[in-house]
Amino acid sequence: MKPEDEKPEPKVTTSPKRRSLLTALAAGTSATFFGPWKAHHAWAQAAQRKPLVIGLTMDASGQYGASGGEERLGAMMAIKEFNDKGGVLGRRIETLHMDTETTPATGSRVAERMITRNEAAFLIGGLHSGVANAISQVAQKYGCIYFNTNSSSPTEAGKDCHRTKFVWDGNGTNFAHAIVKNAIRTSGKNWVLLTNDYVWGHQTSKATRVLAEANGAKIVDELMIPQNTRDFSAYLLKLQQIKPEVVATAVGGDDIKALRQQVVQLGLQKRMAWINNQQDWPDVYGLGPDQIFGVFGTTWYYRLDLPGVKEFVAAYQKQYPGMAIRVPGNVYLNSYLSTRELLRCVEEAGTTANIAVIKKLEGRKMPARDRLQHYDAWMDPVTHQCQQTIYMATYNDAPAEKDDIFKIVAQVEPKDVLDTDAPLACKLETYDATPTYEQ
Amino acid sequence: MTALLPHLVNGLALGLLFALIALGFMLVVSLMETINLAHGSFFALGMYVALLIVAPPGDPAWLPLDAWKGFPVVVRYAIALALAPIVVGVFGMLLELALRRTYGRDPLYGLLLTFGAALVLEEGIRAVFGSTEKQLALPAAISGAVAIGDLIYSSYRLFACAFAAVAIGFLWLFLEKTPYGAIIKAGAHDSEMVRALGIDLARLRRYVFALGVALAALAGIVMAPIWGIRPHVGVDAVVPAFLIIVLGGVGSFWGAVVAALLVGLVVGISGAYASEWSLLSMYLLFIAVVTFRARGLAGKKSALDV
Repeated sequence: MKPEDEKPEPKVTTSPKRRSLLTALAAGTSATFFGPWKAHHAWAQAAQRKPLVIGLTMDASGQYGASGGEERLGAMMAIKEFNDKGGVLGRRIETLHMDTETTPATGSRVAERMITRNEAAFLIGGLHSGVANAISQVAQKYGCIYFNTNSSSPTEAGKDCHRTKFVWDGNGTNFAHAIVKNAIRTSGKNWVLLTNDYVWGHQTSKATRVLAEANGAKIVDELMIPQNTRDFSAYLLKLQQIKPEVVATAVGGDDIKALRQQVVQLGLQKRMAWINNQQDWPDVYGLGPDQIFGVFGTTWYYRLDLPGVKEFVAAYQKQYPGMAIRVPGNVYLNSYLSTRELLRCVEEAGTTANIAVIKKLEGRKMPARDRLQHYDAWMDPVTHQCQQTIYMATYNDAPAEKDDIFKIVAQVEPKDVLDTDAPLACKLETYDATPTYEQ
Repeated sequence: MTALLPHLVNGLALGLLFALIALGFMLVVSLMETINLAHGSFFALGMYVALLIVAPPGDPAWLPLDAWKGFPVVVRYAIALALAPIVVGVFGMLLELALRRTYGRDPLYGLLLTFGAALVLEEGIRAVFGSTEKQLALPAAISGAVAIGDLIYSSYRLFACAFAAVAIGFLWLFLEKTPYGAIIKAGAHDSEMVRALGIDLARLRRYVFALGVALAALAGIVMAPIWGIRPHVGVDAVVPAFLIIVLGGVGSFWGAVVAALLVGLVVGISGAYASEWSLLSMYLLFIAVVTFRARGLAGKKSALDV
């Protein structure tokens, strides 16, 4: 059989008026196919009702595997809420999760694959700052918007910031501002830093050191703790020899769980004051009461006496009944709020085109009530970091229920804990230098 | 020197714990020439089975039999130490049944099978117990801390070290001073002859594998209060275990024990004086030894050695 295009064309005679009409029709058709890319793409998507794919780049294994699970559930809850309303821009939202293994190289590979092979419109998820940085470099290369939901190195919205990256957690400097002065006043001036030996630990301890020294404290020593350390006996012996008044830890994930257990076995929590820059909920949930010692920073607690908090906890329990972690924590909330904000911005922009959505996010104001926190938050347009309420907490020795393990001792306004170095270090790419991206 | 002494002692203690972790792995590798990559998962499974036994009544809610839970913690803990390795050993026997098809074939088959088993076990644990941190209750007698001079040391760690030393001693006695040990070693050296003597080699291998797995579980129970209990904790055990048996020399019991003590010393001292090197130090030690002595500290000389 002859191919269609080899058939002889029929001879048609046309009048001048009809020719003009055909010319206009042809021009219109050409404009549809060859006209502005944006219009063409919108037409294609509307016609196909292509699902919107969101790539979830959360750790399911490694040091932050437990937190990665909570983070994924938070994003899924926000997505479900939108899908229940019909999706976003008339498109159903689908998710694709790949384990980033708490490993930067895996983060890069996952991001590359999600963007180039799975046509992910957006990437969401990050706990380990090295992994988040790796993902964001790939995302920026393609122009894909990436949400670092829970990693807290000051470099993430500092020297490693990107136009396409938005950082949703408080960073090490924010938490240090909230905690350090008070700890010097109440516990003493001789400090030792325990630092997880990777970018978040380094940067967080650096911020703590600067603030502590500026306020009259002396950093006697800094002990680097390699990631995945399980035995802390050598460090704890060393601490006993140094005899500091305050131990400031920047240790996270499974490492902090093991550290807490071993500190309690020696009773060292009673011999020196302990502050943990940031304590993620999944890293402390399930530990015994005596192991939740010291003062630590967080961005949320499930028993904050604020409107909407009880309903949010109930919604979590309804959606995820029988979960090992029975109540949501800061990691879950960060992921939920950020995903919801992204989808709102897409709706407001009326498109998934990256620059339009980025412009909706930059400088975005988020009321305290909407975020279940004490003070209004905003997305800093210069650094792309969400400035939000920081809480100081300690163990609750009068719990109202089994999960009520934190006592919030103070909440600090975002303006009082600003990371003033970040805007100096962050150089966002220009809009023009950011590739256009739309799925 | 006074400042160094506690770190030397701590390093040796850590070495004993590493030796306990590596014992089962060493047994299976040296007597069956099989690298059991599921060793770490059995280590984790031991922790969880112990947790079921030691946890208070009604925890977990789905456990139908908990008659023993009325006993004090010390009794439940003792039951866990005795019973959990046997339970996990049965799982080991099941894996050995599958592993049997790989004997005499490319070692890669055994590696892949045990690696797959490790993934299945870990996910199984996650599905049954969830991924959150668990705590193993301890008897009061071995909880808390003891003061040694002006330093404080964990009572439980002292118990764990003593337990590890006793376990190492018993295993050595079993292998060297009992007819069962002699048969096991003979089976490793000359399986044809052992079979010719009328010994059921298949059963022997099953029991050796089960013993190796039970030792992994025992190590898991002992390490649970120090490392914590989570589904992927086995990864933290299998890597040092592998390193220690290669460093000590495959097939050498005391080589593995000495290697474990050396690793403990290096990790302990570097943790105190060059903390950022503490994990890397064991690998540097490994490279240093293997560079000059490829068969490890006490490994048998290979035909390829010059």
